[in-house]
Amino acid sequence: MPSMVGPPPDVPPKEPPYTAILPAKPFHSRLHSPSSRKTIYDRNLNRTQTTPTSLPSFAYLFNTLITYHHSKSGSVSEIETRLNRAGYPIGIKLLDLLLYRQARAAVRPTRIIDLLQFVHTTLWRALFGRAADALEQGVSNKNEYMIFDNEPVVNTYLSVPKEMSQLNCAAFVAGILEGVCDAAGFGMEGVTAHWASASGGTGGAEGEGNKEEEMWPGKTIFLLRFGEVAMRREEAFKAGGG
Amino acid sequence: MASSKAARMGEEVWKTRTEKINLEVLTLTYGTLVSQLTHDLRDPATNIPDYAAINTELDRMGHSIGLRLIEDFLAKTSSAGPAPCNNFRETAEMIAKVGFKIFLNVTPRVENWDKEGRSFGLVFEEMPVSEFVELPDDGRAQEELWFLNLFCGVVKGALEMVQMQVKAEWVSDVLRGDDTTEMRVTLIRYIEDEMPPDDE
Amino acid sequence: MSYYFTIIGTRDNPLFELDFGTSKVGGDGVARFREEAKYMNQFIVHAALDVVEEVQWTNKEMYLKRIDSFQNNHVHCFLTGGNVKFMLLMNPDPTATTYSAYPTSQPSRPSTARQSTTLLAASPNSQATEEAVRAFMLEVYENWVKCIMNPFYQVNQVVTSPVFRNRVATAAKKYL
Repeated sequence: MPSMVGPPPDVPPKEPPYTAILPAKPFHSRLHSPSSRKTIYDRNLNRTQTTPTSLPSFAYLFNTLITYHHSKSGSVSEIETRLNRAGYPIGIKLLDLLLYRQARAAVRPTRIIDLLQFVHTTLWRALFGRAADALEQGVSNKNEYMIFDNEPVVNTYLSVPKEMSQLNCAAFVAGILEGVCDAAGFGMEGVTAHWASASGGTGGAEGEGNKEEEMWPGKTIFLLRFGEVAMRREEAFKAGGG
Repeated sequence: MASSKAARMGEEVWKTRTEKINLEVLTLTYGTLVSQLTHDLRDPATNIPDYAAINTELDRMGHSIGLRLIEDFLAKTSSAGPAPCNNFRETAEMIAKVGFKIFLNVTPRVENWDKEGRSFGLVFEEMPVSEFVELPDDGRAQEELWFLNLFCGVVKGALEMVQMQVKAEWVSDVLRGDDTTEMRVTLIRYIEDEMPPDDE
Repeated sequence: MSYYFTIIGTRDNPLFELDFGTSKVGGDGVARFREEAKYMNQFIVHAALDVVEEVQWTNKEMYLKRIDSFQNNHVHCFLTGGNVKFMLLMNPDPTATTYSAYPTSQPSRPSTARQSTTLLAASPNSQATEEAVRAFMLEVYENWVKCIMNPFYQVNQVVTSPVFRNRVATAAKKYL
């Protein structure tokens, strides 16, 4: 598994240390369920697909998550790494939930372009009710792709202290993306969230700030760096004319 | 009477004055928070999650949310007419039909009042936040963890800001194998106000 | 027909296993694997994982149909988005007479079911078999997604839930 670029040492790994456990047979469950027998297996996976809830409530909760990870971190980059790790398992879950919902039309994203489409459109719609704003390939590095969001909803109602203005809490969403991509088998070098403007999310572009920055002060770029295995596989596909 | 007024108010604020987000974003985020706590708060000797400490931490987090959330609540409800909040019974209706409605889009039933009218239960027919949760099958989580404990903290924190000190705790949860999900709210005292109630 | 179903994690680690026999054409749902076959089943499925790896990037489908055979054993595979593999090994007992040994007084089934399962027992690579296995796999997949949605479930964690086990057994009964 490729490691992130310089994660702080005490940050938890993407997965807990692996130990092979064979299911003990017979396994006696100690879980009890209510007399209605309602368990997670009795729920309908499509029921909450489009159910709305309150955005402010999400913001309170997300603030709580940030405060918690802030209290455990020594630097802005450590908070971001921790938020990434918090989002990561959500991505793993969402990949299959969203494929399940496509029913018979579901295909596994096996090529980088399919995966990027899935993230940019399917995943974004499921999370934020709309597609992401743009998708581009990096200029200098072939393994880099960028997804743009002009106004990430996770940054609404968020009050980040001034001294941490570089902190982009969309790192949480970056973690979700990384979880999706890793689960799909693309072994990411990393997915990170960056402010599009130099002034960060404060909107405080001094003086002659450009129009775009003024209109979208929270504009965020998600940088997806694909790992070597995925790149080699992609090359092989291209060579094979596939 | 207070009940139907509160219900109307809750509906109106939810429909017209609440920005929305997909419920699943909230539930997945809550799930990730609780599962993080089960990693971080462990008994160092046994490496088993310290569920009591997790309950406390969730309660503390909720409390600090409640302190801030009440302002938003008051701002949103003030234009929907005067809040019917003259006694603890009306407060209960406001929590259930307005508070939970506008912040979680669920409406628990207010039930099981005690004789003195100082303690009631909020019974949740559905709880979207735990829709896809199964507690760890470790023989302890179902006895010790209150997955939704953050919400007790929210109720306590919010009421504290309007001069009510309450105790709020879960007494049952379908996640634990109970037949209902019920939060018990008990009035401890009205905090003697430094401000008269009518003060704007 | 006897079946061995297993779910394999992303590190080729088994997460779930279940043996069962057909419930169709009067079958009692009990697997008729002999003792040594139980080890062979794991071995055959493991060998089939290599075949899955060969096709998993060229075939975008989740249901990969029958991917491998070994002697009288046939392995079907369903690959989740998260690259977890559902492997179903089926072995139509060479001594086909076994089936007729079961009591014939089982509750009658709709004729279509009987028809398709006759085929199922007869030819593991027929269209009807592929479709029956697909239906089975999709039902397991639904339950799998519910299982992994749980915030306490971690990647590559063994699935111990008896409810999940029941659901897989029910799907087996329904389609296989």
